[in-house]
Amino acid sequence: MNSLQSIAKTTISRRSLLRGAVALGAASALPLPAFAQAGDTIKWWDIFQPLIPLHEKMWAEYSASHPGKVEYTGMNPSDMMQALQLANRSNQMPDVFNVPNGTPDVVSSLQAAGWFAPLADSFVFDKPFQKEVLAEGFTSFGGKLYSFPIFSFRQTDTSLWYFKDGFAATGADAAKGPATWEEARAAAKAATKDGKYGIILPLQFVDRMKQHLIDLAQAAGGSGEIDWKTGEYAYASQPFVDALNFLLGFQQDGSLHPASSSLDARQGRARWAAGESLMFFDGPWNSGVLNGNFAAVIDGIDVVRVPYPAAAEGNSYTRRSPKAGTFFISAQSQNVALASDVLQQLTTEPYYIGLAERMDQPPLDLAAVEKANVHATYRKVLSSYPEYVRLSPDPLIRNPAVAQVYAEMKPVTPGLGEIIQGAFSGAFSDPKPVLQQFADQMTAERNRAIEKVAATGAKVSVDDWKFDAWTPGEDFTSDKY
Amino acid sequence: MSMSDPRELSLPRQIWRDRWIYVFLLPTILLVGAFTIYPVLASVWFSLLDWNGFSRAGDFVGLDNYAELMRDPLFWNSFRNTMVFMVLAVPLRVGIALLLALVLNQAFPLVRVFRTAIFLPVVTTAAIVGVVMRYVLDPTGGPLNIVLLNSGLVSQPVNFLGQAGLALYSAVGIWVWKWLGVTLIYWLAALQTIPVDALEAAELDGANAWQRFTTITLPLLTPFTIIITLITVIEATNVFDLMLTLTGGGPFYATEVIDIFVYRQAFLSSVPRLGYSSAAAIFFGVCFIALALVQLAVVTRVRNGRSGK
Repeated sequence: MNSLQSIAKTTISRRSLLRGAVALGAASALPLPAFAQAGDTIKWWDIFQPLIPLHEKMWAEYSASHPGKVEYTGMNPSDMMQALQLANRSNQMPDVFNVPNGTPDVVSSLQAAGWFAPLADSFVFDKPFQKEVLAEGFTSFGGKLYSFPIFSFRQTDTSLWYFKDGFAATGADAAKGPATWEEARAAAKAATKDGKYGIILPLQFVDRMKQHLIDLAQAAGGSGEIDWKTGEYAYASQPFVDALNFLLGFQQDGSLHPASSSLDARQGRARWAAGESLMFFDGPWNSGVLNGNFAAVIDGIDVVRVPYPAAAEGNSYTRRSPKAGTFFISAQSQNVALASDVLQQLTTEPYYIGLAERMDQPPLDLAAVEKANVHATYRKVLSSYPEYVRLSPDPLIRNPAVAQVYAEMKPVTPGLGEIIQGAFSGAFSDPKPVLQQFADQMTAERNRAIEKVAATGAKVSVDDWKFDAWTPGEDFTSDKY
Repeated sequence: MSMSDPRELSLPRQIWRDRWIYVFLLPTILLVGAFTIYPVLASVWFSLLDWNGFSRAGDFVGLDNYAELMRDPLFWNSFRNTMVFMVLAVPLRVGIALLLALVLNQAFPLVRVFRTAIFLPVVTTAAIVGVVMRYVLDPTGGPLNIVLLNSGLVSQPVNFLGQAGLALYSAVGIWVWKWLGVTLIYWLAALQTIPVDALEAAELDGANAWQRFTTITLPLLTPFTIIITLITVIEATNVFDLMLTLTGGGPFYATEVIDIFVYRQAFLSSVPRLGYSSAAAIFFGVCFIALALVQLAVVTRVRNGRSGK
């Protein structure tokens, strides 16, 4: 064979070029995992848009020193569950994902349906506070660790944010802020003039309004959705009725921004930040959003803790259940070890400091805030949490079989958020009977679910929701179960 | 080519003889089967399951979902809202469009501009109309409220979408405005079929405009009226995109039509109920088929009456 023949043998013919192009085209149409190097890439879906820069930096650093990388997809909170359901049925689940509105009932249902894989055995916690927040039904199932929270339970959605100058102009004590319901209502009334209003409520976002009402009812001395002394639903109790009447008072005074009925939290926040109202209820993430999107106004803003009725002073707390795990590994994942290793990066001190600097939900390690470069409002709102945010008991921790009850319970409608919306829209004039009906329906649904679960042999009863050792002003720590 | 009597051929032979017809029908049959027939049949099956969508399959519960539906006041609320929407919106859209068509069927300056202006909202996406209308109807700063306040017609801003007693009617108004152009086009086409000589003859006989309309135009438009009404009724039960972006079914379910009820049960609940939402969709579908059959009976009766049978 001479050299020319040799060249002819190795030269790509037109036919083979076409074949190659077709093969490449077909390959590119195949799902990505077919060509991903096995074990090298994990898919990650979440709804934490403010955390994207932090996570991208972390993943880049991880990829630089480890043989693995992350393929991220940011999801809209309202679309996430639909996307996950479709992905699950078509075997296209991301390796790592978060569960929006990851309350114990939803997480229990997903666990019962076999969605999650446990973290790899190599996963470790090296700080005591990380182990303290682990709980069966929230982060562990059947004794195996599936997830962990990255955020602290010590937070609330209902801090009251206000314009300092606008509040001072009402003649009130600007340094103290609208601490009580009476002061907030008076300030709102005084600020309503010249096309501006006292407060905006995101009435279209029923889940947020539900949380506001629960927080305010607790500030009025209520225990929360459940009366922990009796185990009964407390929606029709006096603190809930008083809290709803407090909110309705803004409407009666004419100090509620009229567009509130058609606004969600983002739209409400934008209109408040534009100066259309004096006050706005929001969580700690408001600092991050203001800093990112409304930087021109953030220095004119101040914040106070969840306001309370003057009569409840000294007996006003916010109670939160333990936090469920933030991220879960899919049972369909072929890269559990890599996913666990990447998740391990979310337990380090630099990550907690980075998390604080995003000014979103408070990091699990609240001490990291002191080392972080954050706005004064974020530091202020977080520093107040230890004073009044308490850990509430949870029946799931006492009895893991409660998870089956949660999974069996069907949603009751109209829910608390919808009832608030109805009260503001004039659908009914007296909210008390409607709240009572909701409490009764929830009780009936829980009883039905308990009966059905108990019939399978599980030991569960209404008494699992009763906690005699509960004291309003104290954390319900694990030793009290 | 001689055509043999089909009665002389067996079915397989008939199919073989007409094989090319079936070959050309195949794509349509496959697409309709995959995207219409299969989903409908699957929904019927799902409606018999207790299924949250998290697991791959639900538990068979027979007709329990339908029984629960009958007891669910919020389902009947959405059923009622759908009916109220239809009863209000259809006559408004059909009637206003007819009046406009009678005017715009005349020759006068800028008639094409007016026709185009009325048709423009039709080509706008319904979801976008919903979002934009929230701003137009905003109680503070919305142009409609500014006009109402400045003209002295109201002393306080009107919360068109935030009041439970007003929101559904506001939605009806927006829907009629958005789709008026399509019905207008139907009517304009129908009016072209009215013989001009009949109208001229009536005019020569001394009939005034009203008499010409009631004795010539309106009777000749009857078959068109039936078809246009039928189409509009069907469209009035498919308002999901507009309603979702306009009000999301609120406030307090005041604008929750069947589409939104099904969507809420299937996707917005913390724990979805795919079986229950399928039962709601199937039940309403059956009711709507019954309504269509009534309409069909009326149409048949009118046709038979016209042909003297």
